[in-house]
Amino acid sequence: METLRQILSPDFLLRNSVYTSVLIGFACPLVGAFLVLRRLVFMGVALPQISSTGVAVALSLPFWLGSNPAGRSSISEHVLAFGGATVFSLAAVLLLAFLERRGHGLPEGRLGTAYVVAAALSMLLLAKNRYAEVGWLDLLKGEIITVSNFDLLLTAVALAVVLLALGLCYKELLLVSFDRAMAVTLGKNVVFWDIVLYLLIGMTVSMAVLSVGPLIAFGFLLIPPLTAHLFAANMRQFTILASVLGGGSSFIGFWLAYQWDLPVGPTDVVLLGLVYALAFAVRRIGSRLVAARAHPPASVGTSF
Amino acid sequence: MDEPLITLDRLAVGYNGQAVLADISLAIARGSFTALLGANGSGKSTLLKTLLGLLPPVAGRLRIAAANGAPPVFGYVPQFTQFDPLYLLTGFEVALMGVYRRVGPGHFVPPAERALVRECLQAADAAEFAQNRFAELSGGQKQRVLMARALATRPDVLVLDEPTSGVDAAATQSLLNFISELHTKRRLTILLVTHDLPLVRRHAQQVVWLHDGRVVPGTAAELLRPERLAELVEMEMS
Repeated sequence: METLRQILSPDFLLRNSVYTSVLIGFACPLVGAFLVLRRLVFMGVALPQISSTGVAVALSLPFWLGSNPAGRSSISEHVLAFGGATVFSLAAVLLLAFLERRGHGLPEGRLGTAYVVAAALSMLLLAKNRYAEVGWLDLLKGEIITVSNFDLLLTAVALAVVLLALGLCYKELLLVSFDRAMAVTLGKNVVFWDIVLYLLIGMTVSMAVLSVGPLIAFGFLLIPPLTAHLFAANMRQFTILASVLGGGSSFIGFWLAYQWDLPVGPTDVVLLGLVYALAFAVRRIGSRLVAARAHPPASVGTSF
Repeated sequence: MDEPLITLDRLAVGYNGQAVLADISLAIARGSFTALLGANGSGKSTLLKTLLGLLPPVAGRLRIAAANGAPPVFGYVPQFTQFDPLYLLTGFEVALMGVYRRVGPGHFVPPAERALVRECLQAADAAEFAQNRFAELSGGQKQRVLMARALATRPDVLVLDEPTSGVDAAATQSLLNFISELHTKRRLTILLVTHDLPLVRRHAQQVVWLHDGRVVPGTAAELLRPERLAELVEMEMS
């Protein structure tokens, strides 16, 4: 409990990391819910990795241009990284959406290829950059320990924009996802709404990758919606429960990591995995009990 | 005489520039009940999608006349099997989508529109199960919710894509009676895609028979005469 008191204290040294982690935990499942509903889980894997490659490319730019990283502030480095992550995410999400719309080829194949190529490209960029070890390797991995006030503000503003847009356009995004044909007959521009959704996903993923890294961003996009889907009765419960699960797990994960000196991101994801496994087991047992109560087995007895 | 609501002039429909049906010329009158008949793969759904604006025409002209000074509103009832059960929507929430044309982004659905949706569910005999999850409803119940949704659009044309496929006989009869009632009482133009002949005989005025890339239009009484029917079935078999 002493650790918890420390984390909750306004003077806590890593408070920005806690806030950022919780913000990402709350926001990722909100857009992740749409990835799950549209059965685009693979996009959830590929997108953070592509975004991470964007960070690597952006941070390599000054090196390619002959600039010395020692002369740059951490703020400009983070802005550069954010720019790279956002540009790559949005470009990838729009390209993948365009290809999906064209309907040629295997979507899973495209996403799988995008994922491995992006991962390999990041490795190549790191291998050829002599400044890679000087601090920003952590940034690429999503090291959440050192978060400045500026990073926190950037994350909060970007996620607030995503949240506001999701709130304002929720019914349009839901309609276009659930029944495209109906949306067209109602005069909705389905391509426009697809782009809005993909931009929101891309922006959230960019922020998440910078803060927690690609693997953990994927965990937050996917696992909370899957867990929430087991218990939610309607779409509102589904999105709220997924978001609360993400934010809650993120906070508890940080607490456990701080308590036992573990890396924060992987602790969060393992915790989410455990919660999902537990929820799945509870749901299965619950369903069986309900079924058994509804159809009790015929009693076998002997009468004399 | 009234201008037809929908006019197809040497229209070709299909995918990616490849025509599935070509050279279709026909007119659909306001307030008529038209059935699109044909075997699986004959192009019924492709033609329907083109009429609804979901697919661009491959060639020819499709003219849709204004209804009350504005483009007509299509109340579309798709096949219930196309919906993903992952969506945790109740029947009411699905029907509510019908009013989204009139409620823009950033606005909640006003109480008057919600009341209209409840009325439509009542009219479609779907109020009883409207609060149940859509994915868990039976085929007939889903069709009723989808009809309520189409009615909530305040349609000029009701377009139904095989509404009785996968629905039991009793529900089919009741659904068709409801569609006929909508046609006669509300003067709605009905466009029904089906392969159910007896159903068409009882309810439709105009029949459009699709076969082997060709379209044979006519009245229900004319096309569904036993000798003409035998001719068309012969054509199907060959």
